[in-house]
Amino acid sequence: MFLALKEIRHEKLRYGLIIGMILLISYLVYVLSGLAYGLAQQNTQAIDSWDAQTVTLDRDANVSLSQSLITTATANKLTLTKHQAYVGQAGVVAKAKGKTNVSTQFLGLDKTQFIAKNLKLTTGHKPTTNRQVVADTSLQNQGYRVGDHITLNSINTKFTIVGFTKNAKLNVAPVVYGTLGAWRTLRGVAPTMQASAIVSQKSGKTTTSPLKTYSVQAFVNELPGYSAQNTTFGFMIGFLMIIAVVVIAVFLYILTMQKLPNYAVLRAQGIPARFLVGNTISQALVLVVSGLVLGALLTFATMRALPLGVPISFNLPLLGGVTLGILLTGVLGALIPVRLILKVNPVTVIGG
Amino acid sequence: MATLTLEHVDKVFGQKTSRVQVLTDVNFETTAGELSLVLGPSGAGKSTFLTIAGGLQTPSQGNVQIDGQALGQLSAHDRDQLRLNRIGFILQAHNLVPYLTVKDQFRLVDKVKPKGNLSAADLTKLLANLGIDKVVNQYPAELSGGQSQRVAIARALYQNPAIILADEPTAALDSERVKVVGALLQRLAREQNKAIVVVTHDLRLRDFADHVYQLMDGHLTLES
Repeated sequence: MFLALKEIRHEKLRYGLIIGMILLISYLVYVLSGLAYGLAQQNTQAIDSWDAQTVTLDRDANVSLSQSLITTATANKLTLTKHQAYVGQAGVVAKAKGKTNVSTQFLGLDKTQFIAKNLKLTTGHKPTTNRQVVADTSLQNQGYRVGDHITLNSINTKFTIVGFTKNAKLNVAPVVYGTLGAWRTLRGVAPTMQASAIVSQKSGKTTTSPLKTYSVQAFVNELPGYSAQNTTFGFMIGFLMIIAVVVIAVFLYILTMQKLPNYAVLRAQGIPARFLVGNTISQALVLVVSGLVLGALLTFATMRALPLGVPISFNLPLLGGVTLGILLTGVLGALIPVRLILKVNPVTVIGG
Repeated sequence: MATLTLEHVDKVFGQKTSRVQVLTDVNFETTAGELSLVLGPSGAGKSTFLTIAGGLQTPSQGNVQIDGQALGQLSAHDRDQLRLNRIGFILQAHNLVPYLTVKDQFRLVDKVKPKGNLSAADLTKLLANLGIDKVVNQYPAELSGGQSQRVAIARALYQNPAIILADEPTAALDSERVKVVGALLQRLAREQNKAIVVVTHDLRLRDFADHVYQLMDGHLTLES
């Protein structure tokens, strides 16, 4: 570490540029990961907030909430437990005078069931009538307020926003929670339709025909665009990591090559190769950790500066995984020139 | 009592048509308290002689011993330890670590060999003696050629080695400094009982040596 720190301090510009390069790579990986995670979250936030295990749909709905309908006849054959709830889904556009139109997911709930009961509001109260709704806070960010009267789609009925709730997004659209009665109106279905799906906090399958139960993960994976989007981001981050390995390894290799004459002198003086290898690896770690810390700070600053609408989000396992990946990348890059150090010939500096 | 012995040492580079014999049947011995000078023109094999004596290269034939221990029988790690603890190499100028100040060149030695080095007082004395006590906070790039060379000498001596092997230690020095370095090496040999071998073509060092050897076309001969 002694040599590593002394060299970095002396060669400020050279090592500053390398740290800058690692900063940019880590910044790019962090931001991409944050966007990927943020976007993924916007697909599933609402489902995550329900703490659900399974989703039961019409078996012919192709695992799609918007295609599924459960009739009251089917529902009558079922006895829902306190861990199960009906959800009626309809894609709607929320409009209010003087406000931006917002594409939303309307979810009709039964107020006696767990989803409605567990709904956590940031402000206001839960819907008590078919004309009242609770919306995701992103609508609040777009100027909607408690007490605003909104229309959903072209239906003339006015709904009143009576509260807001955080983290309520489904398929990248803000959720507007209302009643199952309102859902029937918005979806344009007869009262013989009970809901779109049954959400359960417990695992276990419903055997009643024509229903089929899916795990939440299987259900989420079939959300439109979800898997494709995650795969795309996954590949982008993966390729970026591979490029990072190559770039960092090339830089460390060139640096080590430039230092070989010095290492040869030190080897002639009996400085163990182990000491020089340790120095090279610790130097790589100092450079990578510095780049990562600065990259993380820059990412944090970017997060603060980005408009609220940009879906960027982090969690500890994600950050930890990305950080560890880049750190390992750096160590791997530092290990490549180790062979050069072990093979350095002290005679080369003395001549023949 | 440190002794360095080379017995019937040959060194050959290359094979067949590219075969070059650099050293031929070299016999050499020096003991503690002696300053030996190996003189010879460029290409005579002086540096090869020095690197074989210091265990950096193995001879094609023959035997090298330090304190009775055959270097050929030591592992690479043991040879490293031997160089670190028993041998001080004085290399030609520009062989300092460029990103360490003069002071840090010595601290580096402390990092890998915490014990047995010169005391702070002795180091200060040594630096003053070599006229480099005012440049301890400077980097090698800020030193003159002569100053760099004297720092390289000081660094080798700092390890307090029993045997000192010097490669052209006065190459970048003026006559006054040559006298200082020559006298210093002579004093180290006599007062601190070190075995010192200097390979050089600088005849100005001849007066300080106990033994003078001539290396010519790979043959080493002791001047009478």
